Amino acid sequence: MIGGTLSKWTMSYFAIAITWLIAAEALMAAGFGFPAADVAAADTLVIVHMVCIGWLSMAMCGALFQFVPVLVGKPLFDERWELPALVLLTAGLTALLAGFLVLGGRLPAGLWLLPLAATLLAAGFALVVADLGLTVWRARPPVGPAHFVLAGLVSLCATVALGTGFAWSLSGHGGEELGKVLATGVPLHAIAGLGGWLTLTAMGVSYRLLSMFMLAPDVDGKKSRLTLAAGSAAIGVAVAGGLFAIEAEAGLGIVLAAAAAFGLATFALYGRDVAALYRNRKRRQLELNTKMAAYGFASLAAAALLGIALVATGSFAAHVGAFAFLVAFGWLSGLVLAKLYKIVAFLTWLETYGPAMGRLPTPRVQDLVAEGRASKWFAVYFVSVWGGTASLLFGQASVFRGAAAVMTLATAGIVQELIRTRRLADVAEPLRLPNGTQPPCLLYSRT
Amino acid sequence: MIHYIDVDVRPILRSGGEPFSVIMAALGRLEPGQGLRLYATFKPIPLFAVMAEKGFAHSANELDGGEWEVLFTPAGATPPAPSPLAQPTDAWPEPVVHLDNRDLDPPEPMVRILGAAEQLAPGQTLSALLRREPVFLFPHLEKRGFRWLGGFTPDGSTYELTVRALS
Repeated sequence: MIGGTLSKWTMSYFAIAITWLIAAEALMAAGFGFPAADVAAADTLVIVHMVCIGWLSMAMCGALFQFVPVLVGKPLFDERWELPALVLLTAGLTALLAGFLVLGGRLPAGLWLLPLAATLLAAGFALVVADLGLTVWRARPPVGPAHFVLAGLVSLCATVALGTGFAWSLSGHGGEELGKVLATGVPLHAIAGLGGWLTLTAMGVSYRLLSMFMLAPDVDGKKSRLTLAAGSAAIGVAVAGGLFAIEAEAGLGIVLAAAAAFGLATFALYGRDVAALYRNRKRRQLELNTKMAAYGFASLAAAALLGIALVATGSFAAHVGAFAFLVAFGWLSGLVLAKLYKIVAFLTWLETYGPAMGRLPTPRVQDLVAEGRASKWFAVYFVSVWGGTASLLFGQASVFRGAAAVMTLATAGIVQELIRTRRLADVAEPLRLPNGTQPPCLLYSRT
Repeated sequence: MIHYIDVDVRPILRSGGEPFSVIMAALGRLEPGQGLRLYATFKPIPLFAVMAEKGFAHSANELDGGEWEVLFTPAGATPPAPSPLAQPTDAWPEPVVHLDNRDLDPPEPMVRILGAAEQLAPGQTLSALLRREPVFLFPHLEKRGFRWLGGFTPDGSTYELTVRALS
């Protein structure tokens, strides 16, 4: 079938992703991991991977299974891979977290969990990369945002490869070469994951979603290609250059400085592209998702400025935790939560009312949401993230725990709104379920 | 000499199916310099704009029984001379409804097109102008048995869609 059909398991990915997010936030509120523990401590690794794999990667995979076929106008290469990938990723992440707990001495010996986890995660991500990559390949040559997705997938492969190497090394099976990479190469893994996979993909997806939801012309292809070129250069220099420097035992300073320069250029170019989308929009009245996405963009800009300030004052290493926190929760999580709010409403609307459309009166997408109520939760979320970042910068661990508790509450509030949307709880009768329509299931879509 | 790949969508059209995806899939398999020879049960005028955008010139010959053979030739290559018997006629009638959905919030364009399509008498067509390709609309048109053809105008600013009710 041509065109955009519903992805059956996207809602399941979203549900599992949000569960990991709330669990991670609750653990931070309980004082688990950074800043009570060291930024490289095993407990911190638990939180970092709950957020980056469990929350952000799962949400991104779910969104891409729905979004990539729409983007390239071809069906997904194989829909049957979605669910096994979800199972493998969930099992892999669970094993990984258990492995980190062993590493930190919180669980009895069982370091074999780390290579097992890496294998499960690599298998899950391989299914995702193959399914999405082959979908784009079938529609070659790729268009606009599809290039970003491809660059994101390549970065994901690099992230998984490095992570797998670390897992073997930490379990004592890595040999000398991997040990060398593990000793200094963790930033490469983080840059490839947060910067390449999550940020480049989120940028590509945001170009299309923003232009769609704001009725704005697409970003000029030349401009977005330049943004992507700068972004790819940043990741390429960091990962390839970094590995070369480690091999040559030359230190990562110059490589990371070059990558940071490309990274700043990427953020500036992306800011220019996004500003043009907002400026040229036909829809003057912004919806909640585009308003809240703007706070995500502001967080990205703030993270870039914070990074410059920290490097200029020579305190980046001391505050890398605050920087990563702002990137992960202000920029990536803020943007993903804002877009989930719209995507869930749109997909639920399409699933429920598509069959009746044009035949019976149906509600509008906006009738499925109560933006006034949701905007309060989003406001609380962003304020607590920025407060949390500040408390990390000023070394106030107990204030940070309070901020994390408020973040947990705000996220639960947003989730409650998503569930209400899925249950059509805010749609007024008699439009709620016209004849011939049936309410959607909470956790998957009927296709 | 250009090599043409044959694509016969007449069986799909006769069974009420939608050939666009098949044509696009065949297009995707073409080697550089190859052309496409399309057989259809009507003159696929809206397809010409889509193919022109992709760099293909067309020449259409009417066959017996109102069917058409269309040669899509990559730009820069010389197509064979058209058959002197070609008598261009259009099997898709003029649209009875014209919708300009370019400035509507999504998914309102899709709602309006389906609403108007449900009102078409057998064989009638409607035309709609949109900002983007209505990818979520196509499965619904297909499920309800409509045919459609569409493509972007050469400047890429407007997507022109023609929807036809089965005759």
